[in-house]
Amino acid sequence: MSQSLRPYLQCVRSSLTAALSLSNFASQTSERHNVPEIEAASSPELLLNPLTVSRNENEKVFIEPSVNSVRISIKIKQADEIEHILVHKFTRFLTQRAEHFFILRRKPVKGYDISFLVTNFHTEDMLKHKLVDFIIQFMEEVDKEISEMKLFLNARARFVAESFLTPVSFESTLFADGSHEIVRLIGQSLEWLRKSWHYDIATSLHAMPCHFMTMAIYC
Amino acid sequence: MTTSIAAGGGNWRTINIDALDPDSPYNFDVSALAPSVDPVSAADVTSLGTQIRQLLRGGDAEGALRGALESVPYGADAKGKETHLGTIIEILQSIRQAEMSPILQRIYASDGGVELLDVLMKYIYKGMAQHTSVAAKPAIQPQPTGFSQISGRSGGEGGGQAMSVLLSWHEKLVEIAGTGSIVRVLTDRRTV
Amino acid sequence: MAPEVHHLFHHSIADHSFTPDRNTVAVTRDNNVELYVKSGKSFSLKDELRGHDKTVTGVDIAPNSGKIVTCAQDRNAYVWEPSSTGWKPTLVLLRIDRAATCVRWSPSETKFAVGSGARLIPICYFEEENNWWVSKHIKKPIRSTVTSVDWHPNSVLLAAGSTDGHARVLSTFIKGVDARPEPSAWGERLPFNTVCGEFLNSTAGWVHDVAFSPSGNAMAFTSHDSSVTVVYPSAPDQPPKAVVSVATQLLPLTTLLWTSESEIIAAGYNCEAYRLSGNEGGWQLAGSLEAKAGRAQDEREESALNMFRQMDLKGKTKNDTVLNTTHQNTISTIRVHAGSPESISAISSSGVDGRLVVWNL
Repeated sequence: MSQSLRPYLQCVRSSLTAALSLSNFASQTSERHNVPEIEAASSPELLLNPLTVSRNENEKVFIEPSVNSVRISIKIKQADEIEHILVHKFTRFLTQRAEHFFILRRKPVKGYDISFLVTNFHTEDMLKHKLVDFIIQFMEEVDKEISEMKLFLNARARFVAESFLTPVSFESTLFADGSHEIVRLIGQSLEWLRKSWHYDIATSLHAMPCHFMTMAIYC
Repeated sequence: MTTSIAAGGGNWRTINIDALDPDSPYNFDVSALAPSVDPVSAADVTSLGTQIRQLLRGGDAEGALRGALESVPYGADAKGKETHLGTIIEILQSIRQAEMSPILQRIYASDGGVELLDVLMKYIYKGMAQHTSVAAKPAIQPQPTGFSQISGRSGGEGGGQAMSVLLSWHEKLVEIAGTGSIVRVLTDRRTV
Repeated sequence: MAPEVHHLFHHSIADHSFTPDRNTVAVTRDNNVELYVKSGKSFSLKDELRGHDKTVTGVDIAPNSGKIVTCAQDRNAYVWEPSSTGWKPTLVLLRIDRAATCVRWSPSETKFAVGSGARLIPICYFEEENNWWVSKHIKKPIRSTVTSVDWHPNSVLLAAGSTDGHARVLSTFIKGVDARPEPSAWGERLPFNTVCGEFLNSTAGWVHDVAFSPSGNAMAFTSHDSSVTVVYPSAPDQPPKAVVSVATQLLPLTTLLWTSESEIIAAGYNCEAYRLSGNEGGWQLAGSLEAKAGRAQDEREESALNMFRQMDLKGKTKNDTVLNTTHQNTISTIRVHAGSPESISAISSSGVDGRLVVWNL
């Protein structure tokens, strides 16, 4: 599986390098304004053909370039329900703090999990290849992060289940008068488990994004 | 003008007034930038595809690729373009990894080769953008190469197999034609 | 010879212009234009031209009169003249309602052209009786922002590149200002706003820069599809003799100039300047202006000790925050620095990285 990751990231890298050729371009629709044309979309000739780079159906990058800005949207791999929840929580956490990331867009483009908006002001202040590195690194890290979180979650769930069910198995008396009591207990434990998952996600998320913030993209 | 306002549901605040002014930049006709092309019927594209597949079956993968890239149906409708994309992806899948770079080198060195590789780059990106439909429709997938079965199996993974072929072609192509080729895919108003 | 590098500040330089003696340079910085004077080997800040209230996009010094014209995204242009109390600005009546993008004096210095986002080109000239700069608009075929302008040596023809993908050759003949021009391959009778040529390359990418050849008998333009196209006109109202397009492997080129009739230098998003050579029969990329082969060799011969030291200090072996080009970001303008128009011997370049570099060819 990882054999296709390298060409995928390489393809994203060269596509981004090509797309991030931006210039300082004042709006030609509103007076004395200078807005990202990809968001304003007020002049069709200033937008270029969008590109999609995909590794498979669940992992895609969508690049929409324009004369002074590029919108980059990433679809993060989500193999199952848990990963879906994790990705949702994770991206929500990041986008709510978008101002710390400079290039993060507050809302992802429809069909994708997270979007970046790079303008000519970013490419002027920062090194272009480092911006590309940042996005590539983000894509790598986010996969790792999600699978780590998933492992952590499973381990914790197992631990909780074991410690919850241990006393039950000792009270063999329960088995004598009816198994429905056990069924109720298990149901309860599962409900509690579900809550603790959410709690876990929330706490681990608070610890995690720090190293994204410290990722140096400044020259 | 009054009718279009009425059609907007009467919500005056959400009317895009630029759209109502034929002179505004909003109404720039981008299609006017692309050179005019003759319409190509879907049947022509299909018969072209058959010819190219014959070349491919005869073992001349390079000739097939060159032929497919030289006769791009810019004037075809969406369906015709999709058919040609299917043809090109089939050719790309039938060429082995080791042969990619030498073939690209030869095309690049030939007359008008830069243009051909730009076209190839367009199809690689189109292939990645549309892979769901390609993978989901086995009708487009070829029989004789045997690749149809492979991609059929990997259909559950969302066409990962087809993608990795395109990704390795992309990598080889960038080595030879440079990022300039990607920039031209972005810029070119003639879309495939 | 190694290029002469001046790192002026950490801010994008949209445009720069030297005085004819090459001792003073005007560079744009944000909303102002700064004048740097050469003292010894470096440049030091001497004066500031303050007046614009949006990003300045163009500056040009007239070589003979010494007047400086500036334009900005605030829709205005000023002509600055030296006076006893410093530089005195005169507002130019551009009559545009969008950003001005570029400005160039005509070789005769009686007019200048301003590119604008209002899809027109004001051609400005001085009106004696009212004592101000007024403008006449070239409007007709332009459909998008004008990104660049360049003057023909006869001061009547103007080349203009636009984001609608077209490079055009237009007449700016103004009665009473211009002498009637000699007929050329571009046209014979040239009333104002005559379209002498309209060129589009196959991809219709945004035109970043246009330039007439030294004789004015050819025009080259760079476009966002990483190509350089050279047009050779045949006769008025006839299709051109030759249109040669070079599609490069590079990122788009944003600026170009002719160093002779058979050589063009172009630079852009690759942060490097490249030489192109050719003629009507064909053009090709002849290589970079930078001699990099030696430096690449040095990098490879790194000792293991040094590698581990770097790992220890910075957590990585290579310092990848420095590009191996002279400019560290996109080159936005290149200009002639020395030599006669037919054979240029030095050029100056400025870029988004705030560097000003003089290259000896």
